[in-house]
Amino acid sequence: MAYDKPIPPHGQHTQPFWDGAKEGKLMLPRCRNCNRVHWYPRHICPFCHSTDIEWIEASGEGHIYTYAVQHRAFGGWAKEVPYVTAYIDLAEGDRMLTVLRGVDPNNPESIKIGAKVTVEFEAADEETHIPFWRVAEG
Amino acid sequence: MAANLSNAAAIVGAAESNDIGYPSERGLKVTSLQHHIEAIKNVTDLTGIPISDIQGVFSAGWSSQLAEHLGLKPRYIDTTSVGGCSFQILVHHALSAIHAGIIDVALVSHGQAGWSYRGAGGGGGRNVPGEIDPAAEMTMSYGVFGAPSNYAHAMRRHMHSFGTTPEDFAHVSVVTRQWAMLNPRAVMFSKETNPYGGPITVEDVMNARLIAWPLTLYHCCLVTDHGGAVLVARPEIARSLRTNPVWIAGAGESMGHSNMLEMEDFTATSASRSSATAYEMAGLGPDDMEMAMIYDSFTITAAITAEMLGLAPRGKGHTLWKEGHAAPGGRLPINTNGGGLSFNHSGMYGMQLLVEAYRQLSGTAEDGVNGIEGKQTSARTCVVNGTGGTLSTTGTLVLTAD
Repeated sequence: MAYDKPIPPHGQHTQPFWDGAKEGKLMLPRCRNCNRVHWYPRHICPFCHSTDIEWIEASGEGHIYTYAVQHRAFGGWAKEVPYVTAYIDLAEGDRMLTVLRGVDPNNPESIKIGAKVTVEFEAADEETHIPFWRVAEG
Repeated sequence: MAANLSNAAAIVGAAESNDIGYPSERGLKVTSLQHHIEAIKNVTDLTGIPISDIQGVFSAGWSSQLAEHLGLKPRYIDTTSVGGCSFQILVHHALSAIHAGIIDVALVSHGQAGWSYRGAGGGGGRNVPGEIDPAAEMTMSYGVFGAPSNYAHAMRRHMHSFGTTPEDFAHVSVVTRQWAMLNPRAVMFSKETNPYGGPITVEDVMNARLIAWPLTLYHCCLVTDHGGAVLVARPEIARSLRTNPVWIAGAGESMGHSNMLEMEDFTATSASRSSATAYEMAGLGPDDMEMAMIYDSFTITAAITAEMLGLAPRGKGHTLWKEGHAAPGGRLPINTNGGGLSFNHSGMYGMQLLVEAYRQLSGTAEDGVNGIEGKQTSARTCVVNGTGGTLSTTGTLVLTAD
């Protein structure tokens, strides 16, 4: 079945992220001047204001910072309720939003803040593979 | 070192538009512009300041349209639009402009048919069509829709960090219904005016429909229509009017982020900074505050903000409501109009905070229309805090009565 949820357009400066995603790699922007990773992708490093930014392949690992269970949604997401949204603290630093996989939305108390998660990708269309995070076994 | 603007101006009057709440349900078609103009007409009638004396126009996006509609040629135009806290921030800017000697009288105005014209667009989009900013590009895939879906993450994190429960926050909603029952203009005035009206219990809040766990419907603010306006004037003018002045003893503004993705600690907002600035300017602290008007877009917003304003220890903001301090007759009345949870919330709620703070400190909180017996408090000081966006931007005012 065709992917029926929002598919983001690609920005000129974010294309390396989408190129990596197509190959199953999580790419993150890192400042060559201060060596810090930031998310979302900037035109300028938010820490030291250098414009010398490179893309690195991330480990694809992180932890749950917080989460919520969505019971009201629109468009393609409406038929998926309830589902769990979460903010993920990346192993490399900074934070990503996701829809969390491998959890029970009907038992929200069973989801653990701090739980280890790993990234996976879903092909929304040929050019756009979207990262989602899944709670790691154990 | 910044100049001390304390008491360089006063709020000299506050008023609302004629039909607030759900006017379309009563067969009326009141636009946002009409809400603005009615409120402006009402506040100028109240104070006796002619519309033609307004020299500065301050609003969240409307200032040139309002000035044109009123036939004004203002010499100060400010249209700062950073969410519901815009009106606290606009008062700060009006204070600055008056202190600088640029203007003597400022209008701060709000009009928003948030219910009657809901879904009609006019949101806060910053991009030209076809553009997308990278924060939106990297978050739009993940089924987060509007404020409730995001604020739920903040409540869950607060529960984790401080051991709080959804029941703890439910008390905020219960207490705002108690205040709403003293305000005939509140949407939740009674079960006769609205099936969800006051009184309600913690069990009612917990059993309400889930919106975004841990938020149920009753943890979330209303969606209504509203217009409101205040006039800000320099002291010589403020003392010459028939209305009581409410002094702007302190003002501050700050922000943490624009997209929630960039919020460092989901249990803390920039209100710690905006209030520190305001308290310092006023030479007053949280212990000097006799009431508070705190933006309650959600129960969690009010609880976190109470902590940021120093009114309660970290992790204990909810206790002000749970222990009854914030309720009618309590030691620190909070959101005496019924709040965004039970009075009115038009999308941006900062003006409603200002109007009620003015009414309380000027002794006009009970007129039979905007309040009945028991709503007027004896407070002479009030901290007002607006929060805009997704716990993003804050404006704090410390107001005092003569």
